[in-house]
Amino acid sequence: MAAEFIEKAVLWPKGNLYEDFHVGQKFEHHWGRTIFESDNALFSTLTLSFVPLYFNRTYAKSHGHPDVVLNPQLLFNVTLGLSVEDCSEIGGPFLGVYNLVYHKPAYPGVTLTASSTTVDMRVSGSNPEMGIVTWETEGRDEDGDLLVSFRRSNLVRRRGEGK
Amino acid sequence: MSSPSNLTGSKNYFEDFEVGMVIRHSRGKTVTNLENVLITNLVMNSADGHFNKDKMSRSSFGKILSYGGVNFSLVLGLASQDCCENALMELGLDNIRLTKPVHHGDTLYAYSEVLEKSDSDRADAGIIVYRHFGVNQEQQVVAQVDRKVLLKKRPAA
Repeated sequence: MAAEFIEKAVLWPKGNLYEDFHVGQKFEHHWGRTIFESDNALFSTLTLSFVPLYFNRTYAKSHGHPDVVLNPQLLFNVTLGLSVEDCSEIGGPFLGVYNLVYHKPAYPGVTLTASSTTVDMRVSGSNPEMGIVTWETEGRDEDGDLLVSFRRSNLVRRRGEGK
Repeated sequence: MSSPSNLTGSKNYFEDFEVGMVIRHSRGKTVTNLENVLITNLVMNSADGHFNKDKMSRSSFGKILSYGGVNFSLVLGLASQDCCENALMELGLDNIRLTKPVHHGDTLYAYSEVLEKSDSDRADAGIIVYRHFGVNQEQQVVAQVDRKVLLKKRPAA
């Protein structure tokens, strides 16, 4: 017998399914994130990104930067991460990323926010229970300057008839 | 202070790469909680299929799926020393494909093919496009990603 609170509890669900999207729809994603020097060092070392610009301040300064450069893959991953609840948390696996541009270097302390526009939707030819949704996503700093932009597609579950 | 060029390899400047070359990178890395769960959480990816063992034990996968962003970032990382140690800037990525699921305990290796080489607007650097492949312990391709890099030319002796 489950505890009374478990029987009484109402699930507050997260995420969107295929029918929740439409072409032209815009999302300003939640939270934002300030990227700290520790995030950058941890990410760069755990992924073995042995580019001294990302973890040697003296080296980065000798190349004209004010500080270590944030590993661009960290900027991309945080931007995508912030978009997950709106776009892909419960839908299905991520299929691909295209036309990803790193617009300018960013440095520790930057606050990143993410936004997306739904740009394409279709039902999967091989599995009609699923759709394929594509978004254009942007990551910007606190001044609104574009740091990273990309196009990504996900398999997204459809609600289905009568469900 | 020693010269910055003493801190990086001497065989991986712009001049050292030719279109069509394929490089097998020497290190592999096993995906564990440290790569998948830590980085997935660090970058705020809230999809719990990457960090909820109980839920995934009841899914068709039967176990936690490593996040694709972690998988290809690790492949880019494994290729970074050879391909980008002397980079001035990473300019972008394209054609990122995730072709096989990766689970904790799988080991990733990286291979890189030089797709394009061109001049840049700087005299001291050129642009290279690599296609990086991530391969698991069974030689199956799990990820593919093209990376465009502004790479230093060899400094004058």
